[in-house]
Amino acid sequence: MVLLDIRDLDLSIARGGELLPVVQGISFTVEENETLGIVGESGCGKSLTALAIMGLLEGSAVRIAGGSIHFQGRNLLALAPVERRRVMGERMAMIFQEPMTSLNPVYRIGDQIGEAILQHRRMSRKQVHERVLELLDLVRIPDPERLIDSFPHQMSGGQRQRVMIAMALACDPKLLIADEPTTALDVTVQKDVLELMHSLQTRTGMSIVLISHDLAVIAETCDKVAVMYRGRIVEHAATSALFSNMSHPYTLGLLGSIPAHDQDVEWLDAIPGRVPTLDELISGCAFHPRCFAAKDSCRTVDPVAAAVAPAHFVRCHFPQGNST
Amino acid sequence: MSVPASVASVFRGRVLATAGTCWLLVVGIAAVGAPLLAPFDPLEFDPFVRLSEPGWPHLLGTDHFGRDSLSRAIYGARMAILIGSGSVLIALVAGGLIGMLSAYFVRLGHFLMRVVDVLMAFPALLLALVLMTLLDRSVLNTIIVIGIVYATTTARILFGMTLKLKRDVFVDAAICSGAGHASILFRHILPNLVSPMLVQASFIFAFAQLQAAALDFLGLGLPPEVPSWGNMLSEERVYVTRAPWLLIFPGALIILSVFSMNLVGDALRDNIDPRFKDDIAGV
Amino acid sequence: MTRPLLEVRELRTHFSVGGRGFMRRKSVIRAVDGVSFSIHEGEVLSLVGESGCGKSTVGRTLTRLEAATAGTAMFDGRNILNLSPAEFRPLRRDIQMIFQDPFASLNPRLSIERALAEPLFIHKLVRDRWTARKRIAETLELVGMDAKSMSRYPHEFSGGQRQRIGIARVMILTPRLVIADEPVSALDVSIQAQVLNLLKKLQRDSGVSMLFVSHDLGAVRHISDRVAVMFRGKLVETGKKRQIFETPRHEYTRRLLESIPRIKGRVG
Repeated sequence: MVLLDIRDLDLSIARGGELLPVVQGISFTVEENETLGIVGESGCGKSLTALAIMGLLEGSAVRIAGGSIHFQGRNLLALAPVERRRVMGERMAMIFQEPMTSLNPVYRIGDQIGEAILQHRRMSRKQVHERVLELLDLVRIPDPERLIDSFPHQMSGGQRQRVMIAMALACDPKLLIADEPTTALDVTVQKDVLELMHSLQTRTGMSIVLISHDLAVIAETCDKVAVMYRGRIVEHAATSALFSNMSHPYTLGLLGSIPAHDQDVEWLDAIPGRVPTLDELISGCAFHPRCFAAKDSCRTVDPVAAAVAPAHFVRCHFPQGNST
Repeated sequence: MSVPASVASVFRGRVLATAGTCWLLVVGIAAVGAPLLAPFDPLEFDPFVRLSEPGWPHLLGTDHFGRDSLSRAIYGARMAILIGSGSVLIALVAGGLIGMLSAYFVRLGHFLMRVVDVLMAFPALLLALVLMTLLDRSVLNTIIVIGIVYATTTARILFGMTLKLKRDVFVDAAICSGAGHASILFRHILPNLVSPMLVQASFIFAFAQLQAAALDFLGLGLPPEVPSWGNMLSEERVYVTRAPWLLIFPGALIILSVFSMNLVGDALRDNIDPRFKDDIAGV
Repeated sequence: MTRPLLEVRELRTHFSVGGRGFMRRKSVIRAVDGVSFSIHEGEVLSLVGESGCGKSTVGRTLTRLEAATAGTAMFDGRNILNLSPAEFRPLRRDIQMIFQDPFASLNPRLSIERALAEPLFIHKLVRDRWTARKRIAETLELVGMDAKSMSRYPHEFSGGQRQRIGIARVMILTPRLVIADEPVSALDVSIQAQVLNLLKKLQRDSGVSMLFVSHDLGAVRHISDRVAVMFRGKLVETGKKRQIFETPRHEYTRRLLESIPRIKGRVG
């Protein structure tokens, strides 16, 4: 069953009196118990999309300019703010890249998780305490009885991210949005945290939207992948289909940019040029200045998403894969 | 951002800061054009018109020596600007050097900053009073004393900022390039302190007015014959019931000028303080 | 075999934290605790490990940004750790450092020309502004930047461009040893590849020796000749690149390699 259905979402940022589009017409769905990966570089709009789903853009310079976000069949953008916040608070949770800044340094861990629980449920102190221990145990924190009384700075980065996950799970969310959850962590810790997220998903049946700049992390953990470049989804497919038949030149470039640790390559196939800033106007396809396959039409006509295979969409005039 | 552009952006959409700047411009014009603008000699006694009410020809009345209040107020603007800029100069140069050197050379800092701490243990006015009693009443001494008082706070602020800048990666990069201490302090660190120093300068300028007025009022500041707003208050305070305008007018001048300077300082801080600026640019 | 350019023996860098002051206990962090390695002319040695293992401190100690607690580092026959600051200064030209954060490593108040001219004048490699400008233009082109960009300020450039400028500032001195401290980890993936290729090319063309400090095993495999794996202040394994990646001996090295997420179905 479809849990989250985003259609033609447009986000704009107000800057100097004008509206700059930062996310343009992105659509995707997330089924129950499914993991969607969104991959892209800085400024591609992946984090803003997440904030839009969570309703966290209020008070920022970014506006939702169009489209719909359906969650469990209801359009969140059409709900009254109070109702919307209630749905989001009870059914969705988000974890961020830097767990240190998301935790309040002056409160004990146990109290912060307890606070998260009490926001959703009325419980006695004793019940809260037991639920906190249960959650800490769930995220595999050793010796939770001791950790419950420690402060954020007394823990390692990996432990802090586990605590953030525990807080996110406090409300039994249907959807967990993880924005670069392991980017600040060491590889060995990253592996544990990703495995933890996977096992929690198997256990609770929640859906995950995993946002990352790391194609390999996405490849290992996600069922579906959306590749974003400058506010648009340029390629969208099931993970196995995408990696066996990469079609957008940007996706290929991203893959070629990653030095492998298990084979020797003389030179990396780097994408030339630089990541465009938001205020640069690019005619036609936004990727054409950096694209090896660009022809005249790419400079003038913005391509639309087309299927190169069933459920494999590419926004390119000249898709590269072995399409049939 | 170029300097004129940054100055212009300070005033966009700020009614209060613009009004404050206008007032300071008026003070500035009065100071520069005092000999042309003042209708009378500010030092000339006229025993026949003592304590006259505002009217013609003495628009703001006369004091108990029969001196023209308006002319003294116009010349007072000179004193206000002289004292303000003099103290700012001393406070920034002395305080800035102490703060920067203390943060950069740790051992020197242990000694210098303790001296600053001791000085800061005195209330500003008390410190100024103590120093003034050791010196003669003169314009220069008043400036020096007020400058020293505010050098302490400036040193504290720049000490903290230099400590932070010293740990910045570009300083490490300069060290690796082989840059010496002087080059690191004055080429790499100092230019990054200009904006906060400018903000600090505007506040010192304002507080120096209050400090000078207080010293004048206590009879320890400028020599009594010098036409300053503080002296005007101090000299005529016994006539508060007979000729209240003699106190209301210079008092209002001091308050308006201090308030204006603070408004401009706030606007400057919001606009060019690099701590805020970098935060915005980093997004 | 020739004598190595840099030979580090039993290097220790300890930091004392706390102490000095009111009710604070003093404790010692052994960031680098007995590290030995050598780098030959024209060789790239990578120092790989996880955050807090002390790998960056090794680089910062060798450039004397941190003081060594014990050990020796023979560079070209002299122990650089016990030279006085004045004696070490001329050697700074030979031992250069590339920093991780391209946004923080350039002084925001200096134009690119002034930032690149500074090391030239400090080491008296040029006499006048005109020759300096010529050298700067050549070096900027070497790192793939337009020579016209020298009149601009750091905030006008993207992260990748700033890192190229940072590399130009190092290469303009024609050093003999470059210490690169996580030079690409703050950059976008597509830009990382460009900068890694650039570093590799510059290293090959100039024959400079390099200590490449990184947590990114892919980048390490791409650029190095030999690899040293660091864990909690100590080296657990040092060897040729192939050996480390294909037949790792130490258990920690194996764990590190197994933790990296990989893309299946990747074609070479």
